[in-house]
Amino acid sequence: MASTDVAAPQAGAIAPRNSRDTAIRVAVWGAVSILAVLVILGAATTSGFLTTTNVRAILSSVAFVGMIAVATSLIMVSGNLFSLSLGATAAITAMAFLALLSHGIVLAVVVTILLGVAIGALQGIVVGSIGANPIIVTIGAVSLQQGIALWASGGATIVPPKGDTSYAWLDSHIFTVPVPVYVLFGTVIVLDQVLRRTRFGRQLMLIGENLTAARAAGMPTTLVITGAFALAGLCTAIGGLELGAFNQSGSLLVEGTLTYDAIAAAVVGGVAITGGRGSVWQALGGAITIAMISDILLLRGYSEGVQILVKGVIVLVVVILMRLNRMRVET
Amino acid sequence: MSKALTDTVIEPPKSDAGQFLDVRHASKAYGAVRALDDVSFDLRRGEIHGLCGHNGAGKSTLVKILTGLVNPDSGEIVMEGESLQLRNPLQAQSHGIAIVDQELSLAPDLSVEENLFLGNIGLPFLRVPKALRRRSLALLSRIGLDVDPRTPVERLSIGERQLVEIARLVGRDARVLILDEPTATLSESEIERVFAVAREVVRDGRSAIYVSHRLDEVLELCDRVTVLRDGRLASTRSSADIGHRQELIKMMIGEELPAPQRSGAAKVAAGSGAAIEGLTVPPSVTTGFDLEVRGGQIVGLTGQIGSGTSAVLRALAGLEPDARGSLVLDGEPVRLGSPIEVLRAGVAFASNDRKAEGLFLQKSVESNLVATRLPALSRLGILRRRQVRSTAAQLAEFVKIDNERLGATVEHFSGGNQQKVFLGRCLDRRDVKLLILDEPTRGVDVSGRAEIHQLIRQAALAGVAVVFASTELDEILDLADIVVTMFAGRIVAERTREETNAELIFADMTMSHETRAREQRPAAGSASEEAPDG
Repeated sequence: MASTDVAAPQAGAIAPRNSRDTAIRVAVWGAVSILAVLVILGAATTSGFLTTTNVRAILSSVAFVGMIAVATSLIMVSGNLFSLSLGATAAITAMAFLALLSHGIVLAVVVTILLGVAIGALQGIVVGSIGANPIIVTIGAVSLQQGIALWASGGATIVPPKGDTSYAWLDSHIFTVPVPVYVLFGTVIVLDQVLRRTRFGRQLMLIGENLTAARAAGMPTTLVITGAFALAGLCTAIGGLELGAFNQSGSLLVEGTLTYDAIAAAVVGGVAITGGRGSVWQALGGAITIAMISDILLLRGYSEGVQILVKGVIVLVVVILMRLNRMRVET
Repeated sequence: MSKALTDTVIEPPKSDAGQFLDVRHASKAYGAVRALDDVSFDLRRGEIHGLCGHNGAGKSTLVKILTGLVNPDSGEIVMEGESLQLRNPLQAQSHGIAIVDQELSLAPDLSVEENLFLGNIGLPFLRVPKALRRRSLALLSRIGLDVDPRTPVERLSIGERQLVEIARLVGRDARVLILDEPTATLSESEIERVFAVAREVVRDGRSAIYVSHRLDEVLELCDRVTVLRDGRLASTRSSADIGHRQELIKMMIGEELPAPQRSGAAKVAAGSGAAIEGLTVPPSVTTGFDLEVRGGQIVGLTGQIGSGTSAVLRALAGLEPDARGSLVLDGEPVRLGSPIEVLRAGVAFASNDRKAEGLFLQKSVESNLVATRLPALSRLGILRRRQVRSTAAQLAEFVKIDNERLGATVEHFSGGNQQKVFLGRCLDRRDVKLLILDEPTRGVDVSGRAEIHQLIRQAALAGVAVVFASTELDEILDLADIVVTMFAGRIVAERTREETNAELIFADMTMSHETRAREQRPAAGSASEEAPDG
């Protein structure tokens, strides 16, 4: 809805101003600053929050869900909402990794990652080539993966071979920070560059915003969407094998609430669920924000129920604010 | 508003023919831009009032104020002596002010009759299918639209949808009908229908505001015309007083436009260009389309909406997977059906729907300008930033978009500037051999149109073969070297610019195959295929 009437040369740079507009601005910035103040206050007044141990604990707690959140943000910017099967992929890759350890750590890592890429890419092809609904496709993919995992494992929990310590480095610490945290930040830095500097990244953002226009502009839409899902599978597989190493056991239980936590993180980070806007940094930021708030609540002695409830409130507030802000831009 | 609808919803015309709706000293600013500055405007009962002005003159803002979409910073709206507060579209509707939008608000999956009574307005709680059918037929016949009320709206042409929209508003007893650029997507004969309906509608004592860039139409249809310029009121005069479009243009821009430059016989490069043979595009009616375009030539396709021009262009752009036929570009055959391959072969396409199928509205000008040439601007998959920037700057300069706006999102640009960004992406590519443009200046104002035409001519002068479709005769006559007229999916005439004129084209595009056959029968009795009408 371009307002064709504000066509003065500088119109693009000037924000429209009216009462509703102002109200929305106040609401958005008000909510953001209240949240920021609460977090800062909470952090400052909660004993034990501003300790290196606690910061480390927060980062550690983000390490796994952060990878899945990054994966989710890739699918979101591609304009395909989100995947509901990433948790299942994390579980199946954790199991595969532990099962493959007997063939050597290198092979286990490589094959597990390839498995994740393949799982993501297959869903991406279905979504990208014929425009199948990503929610339905990924719901189907959940059962497929769980079925295969149960069938192959015979329902048993996979444990690493006795006495095998070849994977221990995955769960070790460098300068007291767990390896998965480094992996997460490394992944985010690399993927951010991929999104901003590569042809694939640019095309992904354009396809995410307007698939029809991208197709008409001759972009390889199927390939790019498949690529986004494959990259998401890659991130998830890395998270999965880290989880396997961390838990030293792999079963479908690994999945837990990973999928939804990751979606919540990407949303709280401000990645547009409608596609085309957002970055992997935002997904990470969202994950850290949620982890910080949970941590404050935990330190202050609130029950798990309250932590989960607050998480829900934050997600809803962010979704509403983003929508309001979008309405403002559109008018 | 929910007044029961009968076959005769006509309000008896009130005695006074004086002021009916009065906008007094309305102002509205967006930031530093004064979109509307102390504009007064009055609408009489039973009048069709034209509203003209460039993009940016304030028309849309005035319309938005009247329809409750925008609240004025100052000023007053008075209807029949009563001051109105139009805070939202619902309030405007409850006062009988209704708009036939550029972007239609019909539900495409529902039938015509369901759309006519969308929201069950004017219907009893329980549906009585027969009554619905009867009322629908009554409404449709009032506006002279002969379609089965059970037809899904998506099967109607855009022109027919517009008539359904008007019928719906009439059914809701709208007293002020705002027609915002209603003919932009219509063919000449459909325009006549809309006009007839508009005239019919105001005969009951309703009034209409007609917003358009098409000046001849404004003068033909409207009793009075208000011209806005740079957000201010330029003047309100009767159509008879204005007389000619040149005069209206003068009112709009304060100066006369230069006579259109003809590209003339540009360097038509022999051997280069495109040859299209036997193009058939299911599911549209388009069949057996043959055309040869040489490099440097501009071919204009015209015809009524639904005549198949769009289908031809979309097939050439690779967007119609079922298209059959051959396209040979500079001697090389091109496989149709894949936009990627077609683009690689040197075809550039600008759709008639720049928002849905062209631009990435939330992205920057730069992103949009380079969207089709990312492969050429990257090495090993990595974008070469400097090349991206310089290419975008070059294109922006070419289409005359301020370099400082490269980073701005195109969302808030005017229609004309959006179209320039869109075309910028198709023009000036060294590898473009065939440029395909569908309605290149839809929704673009007079001066923007002149600029865009100039850009297209430049492309042709550079040796590109150009095929464009337009339903506006002015545009066809301004731009085309060869005019191809289509009717019901087939070419009915192909004439050079020199040997054609508006009357001939108009005759070509409105003559049905039946008429054509009838006229030919006494002479040769030539076999003329039956073609579905509409």
